[in-house]
Amino acid sequence: MKHIQGGFRMLKKKAFSTIMSLTLIGGLVLGGCSSSSTSEDSGKSNGDKTVVKMMHLWPEGSAKAQYTIVDDIIKTYEKEHPDIDIQTEILANEQYKEKIKVLSASNELPDIGITWAAGYMKPFVEGNMFAPLDDIVQEDKFVAGTLDAFSVDQKPYAIPLELNIAPVYYNKEIFKKYNLEVPKTYDEFLKVVKTLADKGVTPITVGNKDRWTGSMWYMYLADRIGGPETLNNAINRTGSFEDPALVKAAEEITKLVDMNAFVKGFNGLSNDEAKGYFMNEQAAMYIMGTWELPNYTTSPDVDQKFKDKVGYFKFPAYEGGKGNIDSFVGGPGVALFASEQSKVKDEAKQFISYLVEEWGKRSVVEAGVIPATTVDTSGSDLAQMYIDILKDLENATNITLYADVQMSAGVADVHLNQIQALFGGQSTPKEFTKAQEEALASEK
Amino acid sequence: MSKVSTQPVTTNLSVPKTTKKSYLNKIGFGFLYLILGAFAIIQIYPLVWLVFFSLKTNQEVFGMSPFSLPQDPNWENYTRAWTSGNIGLYFFNSVWITVLSVVLTTILASLVTFAVTRMHWKLSGLVLGLFLVAYMIPLHSTIIPLFNMYNNVNLIDNPVSIVLSYTTFNLPLTIMILLGFYKTFPREIEEAAVMDGCSVHRIFFQITLPMTVPVLSTTAIINMIYNWNEFVFVNTFISSDKWKTLTVGINNFVGQYLTDWGAIGATLVISIIPILLTFLFLSNKIVEGMAAGSVKG
Amino acid sequence: MKNVMSNKFVITLYTLPALLLILVLIYIPITLSGYYGLMDWDGIGEMKFIGLENYVTLVQDKVFWTSTWHSFQLAIFSAASLLLYLGISLVLASKIKGSDLLRKIYLIPMLLSSVAIAQLWMKIFDPNNGMANRLLEILGVENTPLWLADPEIALYSIFIPVIWQYAGFYILIYYAALKNVPDEVIEAAKIDGANALQIAFRIKLPLISGIFKVTIMLAVVGSLKYFDLIYVMTGGGPNGASEVIASYMYKEAFKLNNFGYGSALGFGLLVICLVMTWLTSKLTKSNDDVQF
Repeated sequence: MKHIQGGFRMLKKKAFSTIMSLTLIGGLVLGGCSSSSTSEDSGKSNGDKTVVKMMHLWPEGSAKAQYTIVDDIIKTYEKEHPDIDIQTEILANEQYKEKIKVLSASNELPDIGITWAAGYMKPFVEGNMFAPLDDIVQEDKFVAGTLDAFSVDQKPYAIPLELNIAPVYYNKEIFKKYNLEVPKTYDEFLKVVKTLADKGVTPITVGNKDRWTGSMWYMYLADRIGGPETLNNAINRTGSFEDPALVKAAEEITKLVDMNAFVKGFNGLSNDEAKGYFMNEQAAMYIMGTWELPNYTTSPDVDQKFKDKVGYFKFPAYEGGKGNIDSFVGGPGVALFASEQSKVKDEAKQFISYLVEEWGKRSVVEAGVIPATTVDTSGSDLAQMYIDILKDLENATNITLYADVQMSAGVADVHLNQIQALFGGQSTPKEFTKAQEEALASEK
Repeated sequence: MSKVSTQPVTTNLSVPKTTKKSYLNKIGFGFLYLILGAFAIIQIYPLVWLVFFSLKTNQEVFGMSPFSLPQDPNWENYTRAWTSGNIGLYFFNSVWITVLSVVLTTILASLVTFAVTRMHWKLSGLVLGLFLVAYMIPLHSTIIPLFNMYNNVNLIDNPVSIVLSYTTFNLPLTIMILLGFYKTFPREIEEAAVMDGCSVHRIFFQITLPMTVPVLSTTAIINMIYNWNEFVFVNTFISSDKWKTLTVGINNFVGQYLTDWGAIGATLVISIIPILLTFLFLSNKIVEGMAAGSVKG
Repeated sequence: MKNVMSNKFVITLYTLPALLLILVLIYIPITLSGYYGLMDWDGIGEMKFIGLENYVTLVQDKVFWTSTWHSFQLAIFSAASLLLYLGISLVLASKIKGSDLLRKIYLIPMLLSSVAIAQLWMKIFDPNNGMANRLLEILGVENTPLWLADPEIALYSIFIPVIWQYAGFYILIYYAALKNVPDEVIEAAKIDGANALQIAFRIKLPLISGIFKVTIMLAVVGSLKYFDLIYVMTGGGPNGASEVIASYMYKEAFKLNNFGYGSALGFGLLVICLVMTWLTSKLTKSNDDVQF
């Protein structure tokens, strides 16, 4: 008994001292931190400086180029304005969206932040969370239509930094192997798909677990068959989603699925996973935004041999359809907003203006990102694919903004779920369009 | 005389029985080990896979069979993870936040369970019920209210909010597990101690607590794993880089359009090592505690 | 003795800190959440009081009930899996060779974060290159399933990693509980001629029944509020085939700007957990927990 009691005492002493020392350490650390975290509120002078808080979604680890550009711009600005201190909080995409949600619910948005267009942005504008930026924006510097996506009642509430279109990337070697030419009409495209499918090659890879990927295929068909206005009108309620052109587009998707055009199990593959099939040459074609260009041109992580095999073509024209081949699905990417509740609104707006301008000068060459401001590429050393894309962009007749961005969040969810259902065969084309028409109509 | 004659008979009869029995035993055991072994492979495969994963390039990660070995072990993933991710700092934060929270949870939960099971008071059932119901509350329901609350007392971007949250959210589970174990310990020892004139504090610290070291190690492991891998609270309540933990740090490698899977894998492997070591250490404690002869003495 | 063990001051001292913590950090938030459930709020702009309207919608919401049914199924499978883990723990706790090493190996997946587990299993379930289908092809299966892409089996496919994730958790608890059974009792039984099976069923199991009941409750409630892997691996899809209450709640509140409704869903989840816990405890009711 005594021996065991002694053992207990030892244990108790050991445990006790461990706990004490840990608590001490914890206390010291906490004590240390409380003194350093007082001066972090924006607006309050940190010494003589005005603090401006900015949140963005380019962590150094995964978006080094964008991170560097922003970091450089901040440093230069701070040097030119020694009374300003810009503090950044950087999160990855999904985590950023989640955190913004929490912050907006508590009215704690950062002074400067990132937002997406149209449907995403609208609640923030209606809730008076974004400041109007008409006083700092220079409209003629932007590609037509990009500012509209961020405007409510003609006033812009955010300034876009990115512009993307979605061509059809393809593997030139696979095409050559089966004697295939780049299709210019939709019938030629179907022939390409059939040949590949018959030979056991996956014609198209799409990560439809993420849903918006399949949506792009649908949108192109809707555009080519019904012209650029039909889909937009359905969404902005001057038309109907049950327009025959939109139903036909859905029927074409079903036809593609039945032809085994898409990779097996597409509804369970994320975009990343689907992309892998293309990158590993297990699929011939892949529709994706121009943000993918670095992977096919400059990225050091990708084999040069593969990069040489990648080309792109415009989604083919549909015989008898109202759309033309120079119309793209795409639109502005992320944009910067200034918080309406910010105590340093003017300083924030000034910086936004500066950032957008400097960003436009550097983003293509350094980060492979096409900005929303018009870009002068003469004299810069760009990869050929970029030059081609930029030329096509210049000659584009129309850019249709992604459906799920145009729509409000609730309707977008119905749309995206229906895309999965259409591709997966759970919804017929008529049911597909009907469900969306109902969702759009019932919006208050 | 009769004994001599019966012996050979019994011996003859028992020989085939024992060989048959031991033969079946061996098959039974062999089969058992086969199943156990198969299960072991299923359990250890993820760790092996993770290490391979961390050594692959981004391109190898997709499209290839998960069985495949990396073509060239991509050790740069590790250097990249360590340098461009601020991993050292995140690591340190993860460690002290986890340890502090686990210690607090363990102490507080033990105190409560002791009071509920050993002491006599009317409201014990109610209090226990409160902890039970607290377990049922889904995490995401509490995020925004908690953020608001912490914000009002200026605890946002302060690790105290994380420590408090972890400690609190682990209490219900820990108490429930402790409860199950406390009920199996006899009360005689404590009652004897009371007769001897011990104060409640002495009884708790010198008698009950040491008896529960095995189950405390168990809950410590569980809490440690939860805290170490936790993400939502840190992401929501912490903004500054200097207070971030490993799990949030991993997301530095998830880009807007491009994800650096190799670096993520490397970070995951780095983050699993301390927890693996602590786990091995603590799990021995579970067995040791028993060996110390809990009840008798 | 009664006085010592009923000392109000000590009782308060011991329970107050923990009680305060959960009251402030858990109960207040959930009450607030219930309050938000009475609002029409997108989480961004103004709140509008609409009384019980959200809760009425909830009761009539088909998606809510389908998600609940999915969560419910997960709870049933989890509870069933407990028997497997109990069996494994029984074997491990007996003094067979290698049980120590095996125990440590079995617990390893528990250490992995959900990120790692999600990545691993998504690769396994890849319909073209994944391990699952490769194995089936080797066994001669022609039309390999689509796993997470197939609405019919997506839910059950994702149950596999979810349940597997917690194997270590329950084995750990059962193992500790079994090791807690004093050797003397087992020795006495052996002397009395009991074999391994009899010892397991007549002695060990009854002695850990209290803990077993706790784990049933943990499994049921844990399954009902489960979120992580399901959200990451299928997002509740395809088209809601694997939606559970927690993922539905998260989407409504955080993705679809229906914060008021999302809060109501959270509250609904709490109610369901309460009901299920009450049911489970009624079903597993027995007399006093056995003491030795």
